[in-house]
Amino acid sequence: MSDSAVIPVPAKPVPEWRQYLRFAWNAFSQSVEGGWKFYVWMTLLTAVFLVGANAWAVQVRDGMALTAMSDHVSWGLYIANFTFLVGLAAGGVMMVIPAYLYHDEQMHDIVIIGELLAIAAIIMSIMFVVCDLGRPDRFWHMMPGLGKFNFPVSMLTWDVIVLNGYFAINVYICGYLLYKRFRAQQPVAKMYMPAVFLSIVWAISIHTVTAFLYCGLGGRPFWNTALLAPRFLASAFVSGPAFIIVAIQIIRWQTGRMFGEGAIRTLVGIVRITILISLLMVVSEIFVEFYTGGSHTGAAKYLYFGLHGHHELVPWIWTSIVFTIVAVVLFMQPKVNRRPVLLNTACLLAFVGLWIEKGMGMIIPAFIPSTLHEIVEYRPSLTEWKITAGIWALGFMIYTLLLKITINIHSRKLKDTSGARTVTPDDALAMADGGGLV
Amino acid sequence: MSRLLKQHPSLAWIALVVFATLCSLAVVWAQKNLGAAESAPVMKSQPKPEKHPVTIKPGPPTPRLDTGLKDAQGNAITAACSTCHSTTTPNTTRNTAHDLFQAHRGLSYAHGQLTCLSCHNAKDYDTLHLADGRSVAFPDVMTLCAQCHGTAMRDYLHGSHGGMNGHWDLSKGPRVRNNCVNCHDPHHPEFPLVRPVLPPRDRISVPNVPAEH
Amino acid sequence: MNDPSPPSPKTPCGGNCSCSGGSANASPPPGDDGSTRRAVLKGLGATLGVAAYAKALAPLTELTKETSMDEFLQKHYKELSKDEIATVITRLTQEAKEQYGADVTISDPKPQEGVKFGYALNLSICNGCRKCAEACHLENNHDRPSHQSYIRVFEMTKGSMDFEKGNVHYDHPVPQPDKYYMPVQCQQCEHPPCVDVCPVEATWKEKDGIVVVDYNWCIGCRYCEAACPYHARRFNWQKPQIPAAEINPDQSYLSNRIRPQGVMEKCTFCLHRTRNGRLPACLEACPTGARVFGDLNDPASEVRYVLENKRVFVLKEELGLKPQFFYFFDE
Repeated sequence: MSDSAVIPVPAKPVPEWRQYLRFAWNAFSQSVEGGWKFYVWMTLLTAVFLVGANAWAVQVRDGMALTAMSDHVSWGLYIANFTFLVGLAAGGVMMVIPAYLYHDEQMHDIVIIGELLAIAAIIMSIMFVVCDLGRPDRFWHMMPGLGKFNFPVSMLTWDVIVLNGYFAINVYICGYLLYKRFRAQQPVAKMYMPAVFLSIVWAISIHTVTAFLYCGLGGRPFWNTALLAPRFLASAFVSGPAFIIVAIQIIRWQTGRMFGEGAIRTLVGIVRITILISLLMVVSEIFVEFYTGGSHTGAAKYLYFGLHGHHELVPWIWTSIVFTIVAVVLFMQPKVNRRPVLLNTACLLAFVGLWIEKGMGMIIPAFIPSTLHEIVEYRPSLTEWKITAGIWALGFMIYTLLLKITINIHSRKLKDTSGARTVTPDDALAMADGGGLV
Repeated sequence: MSRLLKQHPSLAWIALVVFATLCSLAVVWAQKNLGAAESAPVMKSQPKPEKHPVTIKPGPPTPRLDTGLKDAQGNAITAACSTCHSTTTPNTTRNTAHDLFQAHRGLSYAHGQLTCLSCHNAKDYDTLHLADGRSVAFPDVMTLCAQCHGTAMRDYLHGSHGGMNGHWDLSKGPRVRNNCVNCHDPHHPEFPLVRPVLPPRDRISVPNVPAEH
Repeated sequence: MNDPSPPSPKTPCGGNCSCSGGSANASPPPGDDGSTRRAVLKGLGATLGVAAYAKALAPLTELTKETSMDEFLQKHYKELSKDEIATVITRLTQEAKEQYGADVTISDPKPQEGVKFGYALNLSICNGCRKCAEACHLENNHDRPSHQSYIRVFEMTKGSMDFEKGNVHYDHPVPQPDKYYMPVQCQQCEHPPCVDVCPVEATWKEKDGIVVVDYNWCIGCRYCEAACPYHARRFNWQKPQIPAAEINPDQSYLSNRIRPQGVMEKCTFCLHRTRNGRLPACLEACPTGARVFGDLNDPASEVRYVLENKRVFVLKEELGLKPQFFYFFDE
């Protein structure tokens, strides 16, 4: 075994950073190759992304009057999606905690799927914020040092820090682990374990800070509740695992490899709890609003039952509630682990239900009625849908490419063939045992 | 404690992050709450240099009746109030105008229970009079209004009634004030109904949405 | 580490590692005709993709017509020296001429020493005619088609302070007997939440109490609009449209110069007027004299008289923002 593993040492040693660049280049260039299904998928996504990019360019040129937002409802579909996606990014931590804190070996092998999801979701959420800016050309005004950064008073600055930090942490962790696997070397614990533990705390913080953006505003009673941050976290910890459960099955289907059975069981177990907690928090909000009554509950009345003849959001929220309850019922079935149709239906219903509840059902109602109790309704315009679709398409493209890199590395299709260093017997031993994804 | 840290060194990182967060939150709280003292108003009275004048728009000129006739130059022939009223008996109880058919036809009168001669001077119809009999020239009508509407005059003199045009800072420029009768018709002082202008539009260039409340 | 997948078939090297020999996504070995064709196709696809992307983003290139490098690099108002402000104002004056065909004068009046503005509104007298909103619309060079104004007048039911019973769209002769009228505009709060939440400090409270916006610094995130409890902030959803003849040429940098698209704006108590001692436009237009404006630090001012002698209240006092806009009744 050691004979076949020895590779001759080249004359001049190559510095680590150049090897990293070579890894990155190889990873990317191999990831854009694939079968016809892959090309069709990516072309479709590219087409949708280009439609969105064009819509955004027109919006920047002609003004945000192209959206359906107004001085009354000044945040809409973009911020709704931003909020949901920050939650999706935080949801990846539901894999990291069992893998690293509870040493769940089966989860440990595939936790990178959650970390890659975090990367893609953070990119998407940052893009949604940029698309929501009236003057994206003035982006540099927000950079500390270059522009003026109103830290620590403005919660948006906290959000900028934690989102970029979370992105950097996950890129570092995934980049390090994938690189080590590419080089067929054992990852060094002290190089990535602190970052992993930091990412657990940081994941909670990104969604808490995002919630603090909203719940600190006294002028918006619908948001001004201490329960907002816990609600955000609870729904993040449903949507993240639900997405990952489906993602694992798609990867199985594409690679033909059966893996992640234990991980899915763990995730289903997690979702069973978090979806109930999420539902409980919704019930708690509903009770407080409707039992208390008064003018400050106008937003809740508008959302659930309509107000003064306006009821645009009522079908949305009840769809979300029905979807979530059906998802709960399905998840609680013991056979959900054995029937993929049940499982995937439950995941899809939970995902869509929470997208509605967090997006249209939590961001928009805070603006209706307005702070002076006027009702101006909001229905997203075509421009907003196009840009939203475009960013989701880009997110899927990024996630696809990242997963392909990971699959290529773990299937040894993508490996370091430069012979830059001698493979030691220890490394070879790790390779022989290996098969797991970390 | 040190054993715990040795076994799980990452705990130190977490503790550091939590500590940094708490410090930042303390700074936020301090900035929001302790900075208030700086913006408390400074209660110093500043003597303003040379005040510009406050001009009150003139009161009505002594009215004359237009007879409808024209003289040789084409000017209207007018008559003083006393021309006719020196020949009539003063009616101290009249307080309506709807049945006047000679002069003053069409006068709209709604000034509470006041009679005409509460303000108009029976001894000299070309002036008005105060309650104690002193006569008041028409251009000085504000004195008469203030007799009963003292609170409104008090507010007017303090600038909170009647509006103004010009400068709030009289050391920078003058100010013009309305006369009572510029806004209040003495015979029908209640402010007339007006149609409101510039209805708000709730979306860009979308026409006004009718009220639903 | 445990390997959950079943042992893979024998690989050429005879090892036991988990590389799957025949993945559906494998590319053919190099040197094949297939790979050259594939490479050409991929190159074509990539070129098409880049071209499509450039075409999709083409509208962005039209932006350079209206903005310049100077504007892009302009620093925050508080960091501009007197000369730099003069340069900026020259550029803005030129832009107003080019884009709107109007000759304007843009000043930069500074807060006066020791002055703190306050505004009071007499609810016993306001008749809801909205002439103040119209004056604001004309004075501040607002977008014409949207009837934009910083002031919104509410027809409230007598007996209730609840805005739930308020109506802003009334279109009948005013005042109605059972109603009273409440114009709402920026309250210039002492603890403005809009200032707290702005991520780039594009809005701040000046020494004389006015909360201002640097229109050339604002990034248009609209967080301040979400934070304001009084619906005082406005956003330029598109470029303001004003005919040249209707433009008010007496402008200032921080208040009523014509704002660009995509930035926030708000009532500035007409600081281009009030910092020169003049009355704000809404006050001068009010036909009933319901508005009272002045220096809160001057004990002889009209607004101090109101605060000391009238029944005064502020909106949403429970939020603790200490507005400097006061409402009062005569009796």
